[in-house]
Amino acid sequence: MIKTSARPPARRRRRVARGKLTAWLFIAPLLIVNVLVIAGPGLMSVYYSFTDWDGLDQADFVWFSNYTDLIGDPDFRRALLHNLLWTVFFLVVPMSMGLLGAFLLSRIRRGQLLFRVLFFIPYVIATVVSATVWRQILSPTSGIGPALSNLGIPLLDDVNFLGDGDIALGAVAFINNWQWWGFLVVIFLAAMQGIEPSLYEAARMDGAGAWREFWNITLPSIRPTFMFLSLMTVIWSFLVFDYVYILTQGGPAGSTDVLSTVMYRAAFSEQQAGYASAIGVMLALISAGTVCGYLYLRRRLRWDI
Amino acid sequence: MSPNLARRDLLKLGGGALAASWVLAACGSSDSSSGSSSGGAADPKNVTYWAAFATPEGQKYFQQHFVDAFNKSQKNVSVKMDVKQLMTLGQLTNTAVAAGKGADVVYADGPSAALSFAKSSKTVALDEYATKYKWQDKLLPWAYDVSKVDGKLYSVPVGYGSLVLYYNPETFTKNGWKVPTTLAEFEKVCAEAKSKGMIPVGAGNSGYKAQTEWYLTCVLNAAVGPKALHEALTGARKWDDKVFVDAITLVKSWIDKGWWGGSADRYFTNTDTDMFTGLANGKVAMYMSGTWSFDSADTFFTDGKKWDWAPLPSLSDAVPAGVYPLAIGTTLSVNAKSEAPAAAAEFIDYMIADPSRMLGMLAATGTNPAPLKIDPSAYPAEVDERVARLYKAIPETKNLGYASWSFVPPKTDTYLYTEFDKVVTGGMSPADFCAGLQKAFAEELASGSVPKPFTPEA
Repeated sequence: MIKTSARPPARRRRRVARGKLTAWLFIAPLLIVNVLVIAGPGLMSVYYSFTDWDGLDQADFVWFSNYTDLIGDPDFRRALLHNLLWTVFFLVVPMSMGLLGAFLLSRIRRGQLLFRVLFFIPYVIATVVSATVWRQILSPTSGIGPALSNLGIPLLDDVNFLGDGDIALGAVAFINNWQWWGFLVVIFLAAMQGIEPSLYEAARMDGAGAWREFWNITLPSIRPTFMFLSLMTVIWSFLVFDYVYILTQGGPAGSTDVLSTVMYRAAFSEQQAGYASAIGVMLALISAGTVCGYLYLRRRLRWDI
Repeated sequence: MSPNLARRDLLKLGGGALAASWVLAACGSSDSSSGSSSGGAADPKNVTYWAAFATPEGQKYFQQHFVDAFNKSQKNVSVKMDVKQLMTLGQLTNTAVAAGKGADVVYADGPSAALSFAKSSKTVALDEYATKYKWQDKLLPWAYDVSKVDGKLYSVPVGYGSLVLYYNPETFTKNGWKVPTTLAEFEKVCAEAKSKGMIPVGAGNSGYKAQTEWYLTCVLNAAVGPKALHEALTGARKWDDKVFVDAITLVKSWIDKGWWGGSADRYFTNTDTDMFTGLANGKVAMYMSGTWSFDSADTFFTDGKKWDWAPLPSLSDAVPAGVYPLAIGTTLSVNAKSEAPAAAAEFIDYMIADPSRMLGMLAATGTNPAPLKIDPSAYPAEVDERVARLYKAIPETKNLGYASWSFVPPKTDTYLYTEFDKVVTGGMSPADFCAGLQKAFAEELASGSVPKPFTPEA
């Protein structure tokens, strides 16, 4: 049978080519910006990571010396451990709080908007503002400890949240979580509102309780959102800088150092820009590895995420 | 989703991480709006200057009496001042100058930082202008000498001070204390203050980690002394010598007793503001800090309360009491990329040419003046008596010491205040701290990065 509507191949190729050109024209501005602000500096950093550049003077090649120094640097290793702990904390605590908060909110109608706004407010406060307020709250001389003590509750009298190396990292993570978890609530709630209500009705008819509804219907239905936020949590946990820098600058004695504060200090205080570039490259590799894991789950295991 | 799109995701996400972590290179290549006259199109007679001030009054005074007055006195040169944050000016300048940008008149927070610019050829030698404007005749000899690199002048110091012992006379009178001049007297006040629930010696580095260098400068000068410090700065004595280990051990013992900042953990949450507030309300007995606080100390002492200062006590039998560590907090150089170097040098000269102009600013705002040769009788009556006392005392004494950020090279200085945190927490022994100090210093000494210290007279 002859297809009378079929176009000649040459004409079709021209149309496809025109379509591709249009697509490239649309993407060109973003591509140019990305090359200028990401690829350019990124490649320069890779280059500088193989040099002894101090940030001012001429850079001489030291090849892999910065990377071998990283392996033997106890500050780097400790910061990496802190990033890993941070990642675990943010994968567990705020994600759990976000899921729970969203699930509970999804079951109420009256007042839901109010709670959504209240939970979201910390996220829109500038980091420097909320960090400064929290530093005042946790101050051992004028914060919550002395305030409770004045009320006859000397519970936190000898607790110095940001000055005690054993608890400072947890305190900073707690403050960051205060800002972060409300954002997760709103995102998870939006995802939950897209779930077909008949699924819950059917479950209730079968006698399922709230927990079973959450486990067997809610969680599988929002899996793409959950997995995406988990991925971003891992990446952001390795890039964390602002709260740590404002609250403790990595102290006391490195007990809250993360890779980005070590990198910052190396670049801007210790005049080791080449070494700082090597830390930056390591961070990028960690992020790339995380994304590869994400892609593996999607493509090899056929996860619908 | 198609494999192509997945790869794009990879690039986007990986790229985002890359961008955030590679801020260094981005900073170095993006600062084009900073007002440099080196852009090609700018008028060569326009001079840019980045500055920072502790108080708005200081900024206003400088703008009127230095920038505006200079511009009025000139037909062909015009200075434009950009005011930055005090805490970040040094870093902003470093980044911009490294990228071949920045202002024509380059700020550095001491000779040590200025030396880094000079060694990397980011600033130019000023000998031609020094001869023309007779800077050697105007500046104090030690300040002129420390501004040289390989025999050539690369920076001009425009603000200097020292470190002293701040105290509240009312608190001392109330407790029957005498301002300490010896180690025994110092420790007696500390012990009594502690027993009364006070913080004996204010200390802390919350908000500004480099505050530690203030305290270590005080201790090293008062416990080790200028002579041993000069030997260490010239490589004749090692930093892991017993005298340095003993000095650090002494501080550590005070920290463990709760004398220094109240306790080890409080050290990391105390701020400079906390310590001055504590001095004013009688909760802090003494505070070793810089004379740059002369212009802001009054803000903490209200309702008729007064602060005062005394020279640092001797913290060792081998060191005479009353050492004044000399600190240059601001130096100015000329950017190698400047298209108007002569005009930039002319503005620098304007700042130091007339001592009465500098003293006028000292009287009006308390801002640390340039280290100029000034006759003690030249100080106007409006200068606060406590401020004038310091600047009259320094030229007269022979007991002059060294502030770390002025005389210790940059990497060693950074080591000093970052690694000392570990001594505070007990994670590093004083001996290991000093061994690390020696290692850092030896590298910089070998590379010629150590500013030339003056020879002590005491």
